[in-house]
Amino acid sequence: MNSLIYILPMISVLAGAFVLMLLGAKSITKTKTFNLITVGFLIVAFTLEYSTLFLEREGYLYENIFAHVFIIDKFATIFNLMFTSGAILTLLINNDYFKSRHYFTGEYFALILFSIFGMMMLAHAHELLTAFIALETASLSVYALVGYHQNKKVSSEAMLKYMILGSLTGAFFILGTALIYGATGSTSFDIIALYVENHQLKDMTLLVVGATLLMVTILFKIGAVPFHAWVVDVYHGAPYPITMFMASTFKIAIFAIALRLYIIDFSSINYFWTEMLQVITILTLIGGSLIAINQKVVKRMLAGSSIVHSGYLLIGISSIGIGSDLAAPAIMFYLIAYFLSSAGSFGILSFIASQNKQEMTYEDFKGFAHRRPYLALIMSVFMLSLAGFPSTIGFLGKFYIFTSAIDSGQILLAGLGILTAFISVYYYFKLIAMMYFYPSDKVVQKFSIDISTIMIAFIALLIIWGGIGTSLLSFLPGANGFIEIAKEAIVSLK
Amino acid sequence: MLNIIVILPFLSAFIMAVVYLSNTKPQRYFFYTLIGVGSPTIITILSLLSAYELLNGAPTIHTTLLTWINIGEFNIDISFMADKLSVVMISFITFIATFIHIYAAGYMKDDEAYGKFFSYFNLFIGSMLLLVLADNPIMMFIGWELVGLSSYLLIGFYHTESQNITAANKAFILNRVGDFGFIMGIALLFVSLEGTGFTFSSIKENISLIPLDTLNLIGIFLFVGAMGKSAQIPLYVWLPDAMAGPTPVSALIHAATMVTAGVYMVARYSFIYEELPDVGLFIAYIGAFSALLAAIIASYQSDIKKILAYSTMSQLGYMFIAVGLGAYSSGIFHVFTHAFFKALLFMGAGGIIIALHHEQNIFKMGGLKKQLKLVYITMFIATLAISGIPPFAGFFSKDAILMTTYASEHYLIWIMATFTAGLTAFYMFRLFFSVFHATPKEPLSVHSLDKSITYPLIVLAFGSATAGFLGVNAAYGGDALINNFLALPDRLTHISHSTEYLLGGLNVLLALSGMLLAYKMFAATANEPIENTFFSKLIINKFYVDEFYVMLIVKPIHLSSHLIANFIDPKIIDGFISIQINTYTKVAVLFSKLQNGQVRYYALYILTGLSLMSCYMIYKLGVI
Repeated sequence: MNSLIYILPMISVLAGAFVLMLLGAKSITKTKTFNLITVGFLIVAFTLEYSTLFLEREGYLYENIFAHVFIIDKFATIFNLMFTSGAILTLLINNDYFKSRHYFTGEYFALILFSIFGMMMLAHAHELLTAFIALETASLSVYALVGYHQNKKVSSEAMLKYMILGSLTGAFFILGTALIYGATGSTSFDIIALYVENHQLKDMTLLVVGATLLMVTILFKIGAVPFHAWVVDVYHGAPYPITMFMASTFKIAIFAIALRLYIIDFSSINYFWTEMLQVITILTLIGGSLIAINQKVVKRMLAGSSIVHSGYLLIGISSIGIGSDLAAPAIMFYLIAYFLSSAGSFGILSFIASQNKQEMTYEDFKGFAHRRPYLALIMSVFMLSLAGFPSTIGFLGKFYIFTSAIDSGQILLAGLGILTAFISVYYYFKLIAMMYFYPSDKVVQKFSIDISTIMIAFIALLIIWGGIGTSLLSFLPGANGFIEIAKEAIVSLK
Repeated sequence: MLNIIVILPFLSAFIMAVVYLSNTKPQRYFFYTLIGVGSPTIITILSLLSAYELLNGAPTIHTTLLTWINIGEFNIDISFMADKLSVVMISFITFIATFIHIYAAGYMKDDEAYGKFFSYFNLFIGSMLLLVLADNPIMMFIGWELVGLSSYLLIGFYHTESQNITAANKAFILNRVGDFGFIMGIALLFVSLEGTGFTFSSIKENISLIPLDTLNLIGIFLFVGAMGKSAQIPLYVWLPDAMAGPTPVSALIHAATMVTAGVYMVARYSFIYEELPDVGLFIAYIGAFSALLAAIIASYQSDIKKILAYSTMSQLGYMFIAVGLGAYSSGIFHVFTHAFFKALLFMGAGGIIIALHHEQNIFKMGGLKKQLKLVYITMFIATLAISGIPPFAGFFSKDAILMTTYASEHYLIWIMATFTAGLTAFYMFRLFFSVFHATPKEPLSVHSLDKSITYPLIVLAFGSATAGFLGVNAAYGGDALINNFLALPDRLTHISHSTEYLLGGLNVLLALSGMLLAYKMFAATANEPIENTFFSKLIINKFYVDEFYVMLIVKPIHLSSHLIANFIDPKIIDGFISIQINTYTKVAVLFSKLQNGQVRYYALYILTGLSLMSCYMIYKLGVI
């Protein structure tokens, strides 16, 4: 089996990072060019990755060198596709923002590529230490990116908070790994899975404790309550492109490892965590809503709402534990849906921020629809999708999650999910109301057509397409196409 | 071919709408006329071709455009079917509609929204064709709804006056009531068929699966739909008000589209109704009462378009008598002949209205036979036709229906229908004499009429005179071509030729006496009816049905919505919600206190979480 084709996308991303580092040493290249180069490398990686999507595959990446450290499967491929496309979208949408700020240099883009490289490694990782290294590669880059605006106090503060807390939880990951190693004598997923299958729960105390500690890191990264406190501050402090990158792409990466661990390796003892996950889910849903409802700055509201969305994903995770087959594809679909909606809404914020530098509160959106009717319309689409309004992809995402919850008998969680979806209507629709129901005394601005706005409009179309476009055109995958892809990915895990 | 017939009008409507919306200012008379009149012309040719195909013995044509919904075993295709019934319908619908379009090109010439008008007009035709050519009840329902929508748009076409909008709303809402019945019927049919296919042919095959009780209910529900669309008691009140639209719209609604949809639908579902003689009888009685009521009201109206509107309702009553008593082909035959003379009457009336600067009261007209010679002659033919004077079209079709009523031995229906026939002649000639013969009260200034307005009248006059020959009964030496061609499951009736002659003679006699009476009363001088007796007051006010509906339905709804808007919603529901909101925001303020921005606290939360998780593990694993 030729492993080269599977490793090429990662190499391409890494090579891009080095090229950018070299270019960044001399400040002759323009920010725009940096961005173009980064996107270029990512597109190469995406294309290469896509070409492997339909290949038959099994086995490990360079088994003779790395042994069973990196696995090759459709799951990894699909996640890699999501990472690269996510990064491409983030970079293209923020093109205007990059241009409007002076502090984006070559290293910045290199860091993004390093982070993507870490995520891709994470998707392939089939061993705990590798997973940790991959996760830290991605995280360290993100820490640096969050604090990239050195002269801004909020930004540096956010970075410090994130890094301190991230290291704290990272320590538990290592501890968990050590405990699991102590129990099984290996950190490889194969051997862990074998060990779990062959033992009773009562004989595996050490492994269970280790696995629970691994979970802490995962819960921290996705911002589940009570590990959530950093989310609002960090999202707020980071520059818009990074907030967007964290909320969408990075969050997906965490699920790459979480799904792999809990669907395969710990599948027979998943029931152990059910009640704990349920409590965390409830806390996350309610806590996130409480945070989001009280915010005045739109960016902070979106940060709070991202906690709520993690809550929905947790519903899916705990449904996996009870054995719902629908749950894992539902999570993947929800990730895509949330990725599109949040990337779009942060994208619009960053697009506006590229033109005036103040903080955007709800108040600033008064009369926005009169000033910029098209952007307001697109923003409404994103808000509707985040709130889970029918005919958007966000609705289907929630629909699948709730179906999986009901399928596994967790009526309470499904009901609570629906309730928080109602509450979320408040803070999402507040923005729509602000945009449409207040007059504006400023002049109408033209809808400028450049790469940022085109990408934003494109995402809006994707959201609607994913929500309704199932049977309109038979040759394009609509919502059911996405869920089929997600199902295939999950099947390839088993 | 069927695909093109249905799609073309929608396409042209769409093109015109886009062009019109892109810039409403320029007139673009030529462009709109070319597309607006061109597309019905083409579909007329195509419809006649497909009719010709079937006439030469071709089997029912089926075409599928695309699969619309496909969920597992469940399939809804956008597909069309032309059997004998539907080709007869589309032939005359497209034919007459084309002439109405030509007429409208002249009538609406100076209107600012000319493009919009033709866009709606083509949409109307397209919807009707979709309804008629539908291969399954769901497509039929879509056409049915679109007909309702486009009629709403056209009735409210002069939207600057609020009363027109009220009329449009009235038509739409009453149609919605009917549609509710229709969709209930379809849904019930669908459920009771238990997934054995949902095209007309497969329903027909599996109809025996449905128990008779359910079938009865389906039949009644479907007929409620027909009541709405075809303006029968009690859902008829929208029809007279629908005169608010431009006159070509009235012609189209009354002759070619919309109101005939109900009759067509019953005929389409004839395989259901033939199982249900009781429901059929109910339909026939509704038809008979509608016919009689409308005729009585028409005899006291003075607005030319309203008289014609009531006469339509009355004629529709005949059609329902026919289909109710199982004489489906006679019903369709009357739809067919009626389309010609009713289109002609409306177009003639429109010509008169234009010529007299939008005067609609027949008693303010008079003596127009000299000034509007062509209109006079054509209207005379149409009036003879509708009154049932041989050999004009209306005689044969109406006679066939009256014969059926007699043969069915439901003599009450027969008496009502025959009396209505006499009344029809009376009120139609009352209109005719008042407009053309009576001496005008004041001298009238008469506009000359456009050729595009008058020429279609000639064609339709020819049709009104001769269309009846297609269905001449055996008794009159014909061989009922149209009935044989339609091959609908008609209930057989036996009646001797001598009785037929007797009945025919009676009808003609009644018609003639109605005509004579009208001549006596209105030919010299025509006076507006005055509300001096109880009866005339009752009839002029249309039996106070509108007022009754307002009392019975509108007022209570107003009251209850008032109650909800002023008490239940703001006090109870809002109050309940604001309590929740207040609590929630208070909790949120408390919660955000936790979010104090200090990283040591955040770490503390994490560790607290971890400790709790440890407790959980200890408890669950039972280590202690």
